[in-house]
Amino acid sequence: MLLRLLPWLAAAWLMAVGIYGMVTSRHYVHLIGCLSVVQSGTYVLLLAIGFVWHSGPPIFYDHPPGTPAVDPVMQALVLTDVVVGAAVSALLLALALQLHKRRNTLDPQELEPIP
Amino acid sequence: MNLLHWIPLPVVVPLLAAALALLVEKLVPRRVIDALAVLVTAAISVECMALARVAAAQPMAYWYGQWGPAHGPVLGISFVVDSAGAGASAFIAGLFSLTFLFVWHYFEEVRAHFHALMLMFCAAMIGFCLTHDLFNIFVWFETMSVIAFALTGYRLEDAALEGALNFTVINTIGSFLMMAGVGLAYAATGALDMALVGKTLAERHADVLACGSFVLMGTAMLIKAAGVPFHFWLPDAHAVAPSPVSVIFSGVMVPVGLFGLGRLLAIVFAGIPAVVSLAHGLLVPLGAVTAIVGGFMALQQTHLKRLLAYSTVSHVGVMLAALSLVTVHGAAGWLLYMLGHGMVKAGLFMAAGMLAAVLDSVDEFELYGRARDRPVLACGYFVAALCLAGFPIGIMGSGAEAVEGAAKGVGDDWLGPIIIISSATTGGAAVRAGVRIFLGKGELPQGRSTLPEESERGDRPWLLMLLPLLVLVVANLIGGLPLERMARAAAATFVHMPAWDVLSGKQAYAAPGVPTEVGGGECSGWLALGVALVIAAAQLFAAKWLKHRVLWPAHMSIKALRVLHAGRVGDQLAWLVAGLAMLTAGVVVASVDW
Repeated sequence: MLLRLLPWLAAAWLMAVGIYGMVTSRHYVHLIGCLSVVQSGTYVLLLAIGFVWHSGPPIFYDHPPGTPAVDPVMQALVLTDVVVGAAVSALLLALALQLHKRRNTLDPQELEPIP
Repeated sequence: MNLLHWIPLPVVVPLLAAALALLVEKLVPRRVIDALAVLVTAAISVECMALARVAAAQPMAYWYGQWGPAHGPVLGISFVVDSAGAGASAFIAGLFSLTFLFVWHYFEEVRAHFHALMLMFCAAMIGFCLTHDLFNIFVWFETMSVIAFALTGYRLEDAALEGALNFTVINTIGSFLMMAGVGLAYAATGALDMALVGKTLAERHADVLACGSFVLMGTAMLIKAAGVPFHFWLPDAHAVAPSPVSVIFSGVMVPVGLFGLGRLLAIVFAGIPAVVSLAHGLLVPLGAVTAIVGGFMALQQTHLKRLLAYSTVSHVGVMLAALSLVTVHGAAGWLLYMLGHGMVKAGLFMAAGMLAAVLDSVDEFELYGRARDRPVLACGYFVAALCLAGFPIGIMGSGAEAVEGAAKGVGDDWLGPIIIISSATTGGAAVRAGVRIFLGKGELPQGRSTLPEESERGDRPWLLMLLPLLVLVVANLIGGLPLERMARAAAATFVHMPAWDVLSGKQAYAAPGVPTEVGGGECSGWLALGVALVIAAAQLFAAKWLKHRVLWPAHMSIKALRVLHAGRVGDQLAWLVAGLAMLTAGVVVASVDW
């Protein structure tokens, strides 16, 4: 039972620590890293949903169709998620770089907000 | 002619046009690309109108690659076109077309990149409105977000960077929550088609997976739609984005988030009592709070774009409340309101953009009296501001009226005054700023701090900037009556979308009846307008006196509200978590009650 719950707990844990890290972050690059941790939580969650015990990968090249396999739909979703994450991280890091060039700091606390 | 095969075009054509624009950007003059963008989006708008007309009789399902329900397990992705979705798409494409006119010659230095991004943005929003697949809706949601991030931050100016960063961080968390929510829905049902998920969930009754899925996806939609307490990103993003981008953000992107929430409530989770009672018990009050917070924050702003951004928060609150009633009248109200608000707010942002272009500022004190010699712009601005303030003629006015009637219909009479407060505060703020800018009247306080200024390219054809603004304002004024009946019919289908059995051909389609109009509420519009003018006059001529003598307790609470909104990204995220916790608690309470 615990083994079955483990991936769900891991996913929830990853999302929770990721958001905690973002809330308390003092450096934008650290914050973006924490964002990736949150995203890893979604990967684990999706893979756990699609997982089927005692079955192989959903590739029927060398064994007959109908053999038990894990759910390929969820894997496709994870793949999309990975692509999205890469795009967003790249964009965020580019923005952070520019921010550092112009303001000479990356601490969210030091950047004065507009009321 | 069979329109079925035309259904993918509103998404495919702008995407192709975006690719084409990038391909030929070095070969053809800039004007060709400008014209291409205007024409493509205008054509798409017309096509969506035709689709909306045809779909009024019966929603049309289009299965990509013909992987429909006939082939065993449902793996295919479908667009189901109903008149609300197609109508919203028509409005989206139309607004893009007008925005492309508005930016004629604006973005010379970035060549066709801006046009390509905007065309993809248009395709993403239309896909979001038409799709009938949970994962597909996530894909459009995400496409929309990433393009929005790029459009906000690409100028890489001082003021833009932080707002763009925070906007990206908050909305990306939203995407992850959405992703997790879609996963949970799939875990609960083994399906991704909205109607099939809805059917399976209704048979399973409320369980942890279904409720969790709603909380996650609902939060994601609320982040996009900027409901309290997820709204902190919106003013920053709107203030720093170039004004044509703000036009799109406020006019369509934010309301489209609500459109997604509406789809979730009407199709996917309609069969789960806990979610339905959560919508009524928590989301309606949440909408009301959003309306009030946005309104009072708008009153405090002197930066015109921030002012308009907070007013968007406020009006989105009204739409959220109307939507969460999950009745046909409520849906008709928010569809009309969304349309009218989109036109009015887009017009106002265009006015702000024109001021930034010719006078290099959008601060109301900085601009004090400097736009006296621009009478046509002033007329357009004031008419739009009065519509914002609740002027009861026009689409936005009919929308407000319909929302109020719908709320009365389910016993939520208290929503009426909330709408009046929202209209009066936001309209009052807009009128006040207009009086200072265009008439040069009102007190001018000493020793105020100025925000970092931004200017926009000024050597553009003035008429081409003015034209879209006037078109939008006039369309809002004359569109009210003809659109009202159409909105009610569209709302009836929106709330009662065809069930899975209909889509898979097991049952015949039965068109839902179109309810009659609920009357009343017209005097609230006039009342809101009156209050707005009083507020504007008070802020213009008696601000100091009011602050010290009469309204100091109110002033203190507004000050507290401002402090709350000065949060950094960590605080915004903390609020997001708090909101998520609130929705979770709400759904737990709602399930126990049942």
